[in-house]
Amino acid sequence: MSPALQTRALGKRYGRGWALRDCTLTIPAGAVVGLAGPNNAGKSTLLDLAVGLLAPTEGEISVLGRDPWRDAGALGSVGYVGQDAPLYRSFTVGEAVEFARATNVRWQPTAAHEFLARLSSDRRISTLSAGERARLALGLALGKRPSLLLLDEPFARLDPLAGREFLQMLMDGVAETDATVVIASHVTADIERVCDHIVLLTGGRVRLEGNVDRLLASHRLLTGASRPLGRISGVREIVRRRHSGRQMTLLARLDRPIVDASWSVDRIGLEDLLLAYMTPEQLPTPRAHEKGPLRWHG
Amino acid sequence: MAWVTWRQHRLQFLIGIGMLVSVAVAALATGLPMHAAYHRDALSACLPPTARSGCDIIVHHFQTEFGNVLRAVRYLVFFPALVGLFVGAPLVAREFEQGTYRLAWTQTVTRRRWLLSKTVLLAVATALGAFTLSALAMWWRHPFDVLEGRMSPSSFEVEGIVVPAYAVFALCLGVFAGLVLRRSVPAMCAALVGFFGVRLAVAKLLRPHYLPARHDMATGLTPDSHSHDWVLNNSIVDAVGHQITSGREDLAILHARHARIDASEYLLSLGWHRAVTFQPGSRFWVFQGVESAVFILLAAAIVLATVRLLQRTPS
Repeated sequence: MSPALQTRALGKRYGRGWALRDCTLTIPAGAVVGLAGPNNAGKSTLLDLAVGLLAPTEGEISVLGRDPWRDAGALGSVGYVGQDAPLYRSFTVGEAVEFARATNVRWQPTAAHEFLARLSSDRRISTLSAGERARLALGLALGKRPSLLLLDEPFARLDPLAGREFLQMLMDGVAETDATVVIASHVTADIERVCDHIVLLTGGRVRLEGNVDRLLASHRLLTGASRPLGRISGVREIVRRRHSGRQMTLLARLDRPIVDASWSVDRIGLEDLLLAYMTPEQLPTPRAHEKGPLRWHG
Repeated sequence: MAWVTWRQHRLQFLIGIGMLVSVAVAALATGLPMHAAYHRDALSACLPPTARSGCDIIVHHFQTEFGNVLRAVRYLVFFPALVGLFVGAPLVAREFEQGTYRLAWTQTVTRRRWLLSKTVLLAVATALGAFTLSALAMWWRHPFDVLEGRMSPSSFEVEGIVVPAYAVFALCLGVFAGLVLRRSVPAMCAALVGFFGVRLAVAKLLRPHYLPARHDMATGLTPDSHSHDWVLNNSIVDAVGHQITSGREDLAILHARHARIDASEYLLSLGWHRAVTFQPGSRFWVFQGVESAVFILLAAAIVLATVRLLQRTPS
C-alpha cells in the first residue's frame, strides 16, 4: 500500500524565515500519528501543505499518492479539521451537514449521522460549545469517509472531558474505516494516549520520527555517578544529559543493550521522551540587554 | 454548490428583492401620473415640439413638472456598483476573515469549481435583477425618451442591456478585489473606485468611438435638430473650419452690441457657423450592444484572473 503521506526535502518559507525545512518523512497507511512539537514548530504548516492550502517552497509532498497543490482533486478522500474547527457561524448544525454533503461527492450521511445525532440539527453553530463545535467539525470530516484524516490542534480549546469525548468519537470513527490519522498537538499528553507513530518537529525541522513502540524500546535513561563521558557501549546518541550533585542522568538512544553495570538503566515514557527532544541541549545564555538592572514595576 | 451559494447569499438576495420592489413601487407611484399626463396632453402628437403651435409650451410644461423625478432616476447608475460591493467583495474576503476558507477549500469540490459556481450563479441572479431594474427605468422614462431621446449618458446608462452588464462587471471586480485584499471593507472600497474608474474611462474614451461620429454643419447658429442625439461637440467654426474659442465669440458678440447690429447675423456675416459632432439616437441599440460586450468581456477577463490567482496563491 502506498504511504498515506510522504514528503521529500519539503520546505516552506514565509518572507525570510523558514516555517518548515528539509522535511522528509513517510507516514504509513493506517497509522495514528502524533505530530508533536512546540508552538511555531511547523506543525500547521505541514498540515496546510498536505491539504493544498499552501504551496511548498521547495521539495515535494504527496498525499495518498497525489500532489495536493497541483492536483485539484486530491482532497476527495482527505478529511481536514483546521485549528479551532472553522465552520460557518451563521449556519445551523443541519446546514453545516448539508454544506458538507453538497461539497463532497463521497459524502456518507450514515457515517456522519451517527456522530452528529447528539447535536440538534436546528441549533446555530454560534451557540455551540467548543466541544460541540469540535465534534461537529470532526463529524463533517468523517462523513467524507476519509482515507487520511488531518486534525490541527483539535484539543486546544477543549476541557479535559470534551477532549476525551472527542478522542472517543475519533477512535470510533477511524476504527470503521482504517483511516490514517494525523493529530497535530503541542500538548504531548494528548498524543501519548492514542498515537502509534510520532513525528516531532522543532524549529521547522523533523527532530524525531518513528513508531512509538520502537522509539520507546530504543531509548533508555542511564543514571550513574558523574564522570567524564567517553563512549558507552550500546549508546548510539546521547540526547540529553542532566547533572544533579554527583549524579548524572543521560537520555540515550541505544543500538544494543547496555552491559556496563555502573549505569542503572530505566525505561522512559513517551511524554518525557518528546519533552527531552524538544528541550535544547543547553539553555541559551541570556542576551546582554536582558541582564539589565531590575526595575520596580509598582 | 447551488445550495451553498443560496445559503450563503440568501440575505443579500432578499435585500436585493426588497430593493427592487421598493424601486418598482416608487416607479409606479411617480410613473403612472406621468404617463397619464403624457397621454392626456397627447404629447406624442407634438413631436418634434415645433409640429404645431402651442406644442413647445406643452412640452416645456411637462418637462418642468416631472424633471425632478427624472433626476432621481439617474441615481440608478449606483445600483450595479452596490451589487459589486455587497455581493462580490465579501465572496472570498469573508472566507478569509472568518477562517472558513480552511473548511471551504478542503472539501472535494475544487477551489476553481467553488469560485466559478458561486460567481456564475450570483452573476445570473444579479443580471436578472439589473435587467428588471433597467426594464422599470425604460418604462418609466418612456415619455422622456420620446421627447429627449435616450442616447445621452444620463439615460443611456440606466436603460437597456448595459445595466446588467455593469452589474455583472461590478460583481466580478468585487470578487477579485476580495481575493487580492482578503478583507471585505477594503475590497469594497477598491471595487468601488475601480468600477467608477472603468465606467468613466469607457464612457469618456471608448463610447464616443464605437461608430464614427457624424458631423453636421448648421447654417444657423442654434441647432435644435439634435435633441435625440448624443452631442459630442458643439462649437462655432469659421469659414475654413477652425474652431472659434469662446473668448473670441464673446468678443465678437460684444463688438456687435456696440455696433448695434444683430449678433447672430454679424457672426454669420463673418462666415462663422455652428459645427456639431454627434452620435445619432438611432444607434442606441448598437451602442448598447457594444458597451455591454465591453463590460461582459472585462468581467470574463477578471473572472479568469481571479480563478488563476485563487489556484496559484497559497492561502
